[in-house]
Amino acid sequence: MEAVPVVSFDNVDKIFNRGGADETVALKSINLDIRPSEFISIIGPSGCGKSTLLRLVGDLIAPSAGTVTVNGKEAHQARLDHDYGMVFQQPVLFDWRTIQRNVELPLEVYGFDKAERQQRARELLQMVELGGFENHRPWQLSGGMQQRVSIARALATAPKLLLMDEPFGALDEMTRERMNMELHAIWRQTDTTVIFVTHSISEAVFLSNRVIVMSARPGRIMQIVDIDLPIPRGEHTRQDPALFEAERAVREWLRKAEAFSA
Amino acid sequence: MAAARPQSDPTKLPRAIRQFFALLILLLLLAALWETLKWISGDPWRPDANPFGLDHNPPYRFKIASDLNLPHLWDIFAAFGKESRRNGPPLISVLFSASLFTFREAIMGFIFGGVLGFILALIFQRYALLDRGCMPYVVASQTIPILAIAPMVIIWLKAGWVSVAVIAAYLTFFPVTINTLRGLRSPEPTAVELMASYAATRRDIMWKLRLPAALPYIFTALKISATASVVGAIIGELPSGIRDGLGGAILNFNSYYITSPSRLWAAIIASALVGILFFGLVTLAERLVLRDRQAPDPV
Repeated sequence: MEAVPVVSFDNVDKIFNRGGADETVALKSINLDIRPSEFISIIGPSGCGKSTLLRLVGDLIAPSAGTVTVNGKEAHQARLDHDYGMVFQQPVLFDWRTIQRNVELPLEVYGFDKAERQQRARELLQMVELGGFENHRPWQLSGGMQQRVSIARALATAPKLLLMDEPFGALDEMTRERMNMELHAIWRQTDTTVIFVTHSISEAVFLSNRVIVMSARPGRIMQIVDIDLPIPRGEHTRQDPALFEAERAVREWLRKAEAFSA
Repeated sequence: MAAARPQSDPTKLPRAIRQFFALLILLLLLAALWETLKWISGDPWRPDANPFGLDHNPPYRFKIASDLNLPHLWDIFAAFGKESRRNGPPLISVLFSASLFTFREAIMGFIFGGVLGFILALIFQRYALLDRGCMPYVVASQTIPILAIAPMVIIWLKAGWVSVAVIAAYLTFFPVTINTLRGLRSPEPTAVELMASYAATRRDIMWKLRLPAALPYIFTALKISATASVVGAIIGELPSGIRDGLGGAILNFNSYYITSPSRLWAAIIASALVGILFFGLVTLAERLVLRDRQAPDPV
């Protein structure tokens, strides 16, 4: 029995500046189903439309052709229903709010009452191991901590779908690896579906059930690589020969994607 | 290589005190420069007319440094204590009540201009077409000299504090519009996308993102407007025939300049003090409102 996909792309094209001199076909004929509770990474050469794909799911932009379905609804309706949480490459925290109030932001917009908001934000900050930083200001935290706040914020409404656009791209290697571990733990804990855009092969393989390799201009899905590493993953995974094998496979497809683009 | 700056240096005085001393030193230097110029090229110093009892004949005579053009600083300060006219109250009390009068007009103009400027910014932010269509006229309005506008405003509104406040508002709304608009547009695109991902309403985006982001810009504008409104109020008084404010005092002492130049200088000092006071009040409000923000504006 195939479960109902959380996200479904049906023949989706995205063309920017259509008809203009600088017309760009960002995505071409995208067909993709994402299963519930899946962790799926999107990787590809820069300019291949990875972020565009994510923004289509979030209804931050509209497809030029085809349909994007989220939880069985149009992506637009899913956004209005608050079906997903989003994490950007930059933490995008508001300077004028404390850490606690930053996490409360989506709950405020959704109209939760104050007590519930505070309770929920405290729990989430505990979960991302930032208990005790409630009254700090964003600029007092390191880059990794700021990104953890933005993950907590995205999880505030317990969405079943988490969209992450190169969330650890700006972090150093060590912090990134630690954040990967934490994200993996959060994913297992919350049973969310995660769509994760990255340009790091090791990050994609370590975290995912499936890795989507894309080619650029126009962006197409080149190959979907299944990652059959046992879950939970952790330090032991980093020693697993199957990890190297999977990384090698993804790297090979990326090479082909790049050759294809050129 | 730049070394990391320590969080706080215990040997250093608090910032406010250091700023105060810096200002004091600057003022003393200016005063020294002023009197040095008079020492070199002013009118002769008579021993009974200066606090040091100096008898000195400057080697040069420059017109700019004469007692008429550049009175001695002690003469200017002494003028505050002397009567403002024959058998009248002392100048300081006249200037004090004039300052209060003008300050009130300036505050009204500041409020009118601030509200108008803010509303214009909100409209321009919301409707890009209006921004492109109307902004050139708003800019053009600022190139018309206030001295040309002021008499017209007085004819339309009758001479009184309302017309003066409107003239002051004319000078103050523009920086508020420009800066507020810039502040409302300052959030990075991803911040707006973040709000969009919550399906936030336009109102939520305004209240939770655009307005808080614009606050530092708005305060910068208000600081400019605070001083501009004092200038506007003084200029507004001139063609209105209002004699109770600093504009009236300046006009009055201007006509007696030949006989007692120091009174006009005293009025100028009073005007500057009103402007500085207003600026200081806005800065204080800014510090209070933005105290939790990163890297406070150094101004």
